[in-house]
Amino acid sequence: MSATNTHLSQYQKYNQRVSRNRATSEVAWVRYTLIAATLLFLSLFLFVPLATVFTEAFRKGAGTYFAALSDPDALSAIKLTLIAAVIAVPLNLVFGVAAAWAIAKFEFKGKSLLITLIDLPFAVSPVIAGLIYVLIFGMQGWFGEWLTDHDFKIIFAIPGIVLATIFVTFPFVARELIPLMQAQGKEEEEAALVLGASGWQMFWRVTLPNIKWGLLYGVILCNARAMGEFGAVSVVSGHIRGLTNTMPLHVEILYNEYNYAAAFAVASLLALLALLTLALKTYVEWQSAKDAIEIEQE
Amino acid sequence: MSIEIKNISKGFGNFSALKDVSLNVPTGELVALLGPSGCGKTTLLRIIAGLETPDNGSIHFHGEDATDRAVRERQVGFVFQHYALFRHMTVFENVAFGLRVRPKHTRPSEAEIKRRVHELLNLVQLDWLADRYPPQLSGGQRQRIALARALAVEPKVLLLDEPFGALDAKVRKDLRRWLRRLHDELHITSVFVTHDQEEALEVADTIVVMNQGRIEQIGSPQQVYDHPATPFVYQFLGNVNAFEGHVDQGVAKIAGLQVPLNYQHEARSGSISAFVRPYDIQVRKAYDDNGALAAKLTYAHSIGPIVRLELKREDNHEFLDAELSKADFDNLNIKEGDSVYLKLKNVRVFFGNNFVI
Repeated sequence: MSATNTHLSQYQKYNQRVSRNRATSEVAWVRYTLIAATLLFLSLFLFVPLATVFTEAFRKGAGTYFAALSDPDALSAIKLTLIAAVIAVPLNLVFGVAAAWAIAKFEFKGKSLLITLIDLPFAVSPVIAGLIYVLIFGMQGWFGEWLTDHDFKIIFAIPGIVLATIFVTFPFVARELIPLMQAQGKEEEEAALVLGASGWQMFWRVTLPNIKWGLLYGVILCNARAMGEFGAVSVVSGHIRGLTNTMPLHVEILYNEYNYAAAFAVASLLALLALLTLALKTYVEWQSAKDAIEIEQE
Repeated sequence: MSIEIKNISKGFGNFSALKDVSLNVPTGELVALLGPSGCGKTTLLRIIAGLETPDNGSIHFHGEDATDRAVRERQVGFVFQHYALFRHMTVFENVAFGLRVRPKHTRPSEAEIKRRVHELLNLVQLDWLADRYPPQLSGGQRQRIALARALAVEPKVLLLDEPFGALDAKVRKDLRRWLRRLHDELHITSVFVTHDQEEALEVADTIVVMNQGRIEQIGSPQQVYDHPATPFVYQFLGNVNAFEGHVDQGVAKIAGLQVPLNYQHEARSGSISAFVRPYDIQVRKAYDDNGALAAKLTYAHSIGPIVRLELKREDNHEFLDAELSKADFDNLNIKEGDSVYLKLKNVRVFFGNNFVI
């Protein structure tokens, strides 16, 4: 409220964030050993591999690098990856919000079953996930005959890849939103209803603004996984070059053909995507934290 | 607008929150639903608002059945215990919300919305906070904004769920007086839920005392305090000492004392529960021939002009609370460990041994 109050709370926040309380922390050598171990681990398993991707990609010069990326098969793999993500991410955004909404705001029978089902893709190996679709929609599968009769191809075609991607990335948005929405409770929504808002108005004006950062965070993770998925997509794709190969699959094929430079070139695109995702994720986290603090301190 | 609640029941799983509750709230009255936590008062309030659906019974607004009416069509204002302000909107937008979500043909113009919101913010004396966000406000300010937001839609009924429950004692006192004055100005039918008897006694026109899903008594603050209908009401509205005893032809025998009953002079006999307020226990140093209860002073502490005594009965070693003025206490000249003799005034007797606490 008053100026002094604000300064005090700002100071306290600063204090909490920056200073270390000597009474609750370990002695110096323990701290430095732990930090050193962490850094060593990170370099060995993260920074070095990441650097390798880019050095290998450019080993034969920029010309080879860009040639590998502009190869028609590479372009079609990029295109297919984007198509799968563009379909899977919005669908999982809608499913995720709907599921999180139902779970966080309502009590109903079978709720814990629904939560388990949402987690299923995390629990099941992606290869199994892909196999499920082959068993259902494949030539010898349950609907195989019917699909062939109607000239409708799912397995070894784009629909199968999209389906597998949706399955694998299903939990991301919902998992991100459920704890957030549960913590926020439903009083604000109730207040909106009492004030005369329709369900739709309540969602757009009250619910969505409250979950926007969490939602964006979930979408970013969902997108990263959708573009990077290998196992499930590998099973349903059939590896038809220029037709059903996504970027990760394309990398594998090139690698198996000893075409390392091209393999790493495409891999570097995926690595870039990962870096971009991390940057976006950090920005979102920082932005939502900033929102919270600004509102408190302004 | 009047509210009639007819035979409402509501259960949550095995727990029965409301059991056949009926209540009339006349137009323009300020009614308090008073009871301990878990007595069903908040559930009843939420049923009136339409936020819960009753299992049985009906709600009537101004004589019209509103049991199945949608929340948004009930024209009620609801103030939540934890305010439930929209945290991502400014104070101004919070108050304007109810006007902005109206369908186009009834929605006021932007200028009109602005005027109305500022008028309400002035009413709650917080116009200077219009551009702030809820987390930047103090508890008392948030509560007043929540009230302004509820009033913005010109509700026919105002419902308040423990409106001052989360505030500190001083702010609470100011706010409830302010609410009373506001109600006197606006004359809007209001129902508020509280577990604080002092709050209910000070603010409400009518108090509805509830316990375990039922209504124990409905009456003016004076009525429920002076003429409690049940032992529960008596015990809930202030501190009491409870005794068991029995009545023989209009004379009660309590803790070995003969206590004449000055009301309820039925020629009834039977076992009773008797209650005495702490300030109706007289403490003496000397024994009185007319009979007195022997006790030991175990603890005395003074709060301003009042001294509270903790006394241990000599006969069954139960504890009693007594209250007297500082002056009387000083005159008595007693200290902890001393023996004293007690007389009971204004004993309230209920037939049957239904101790409730």
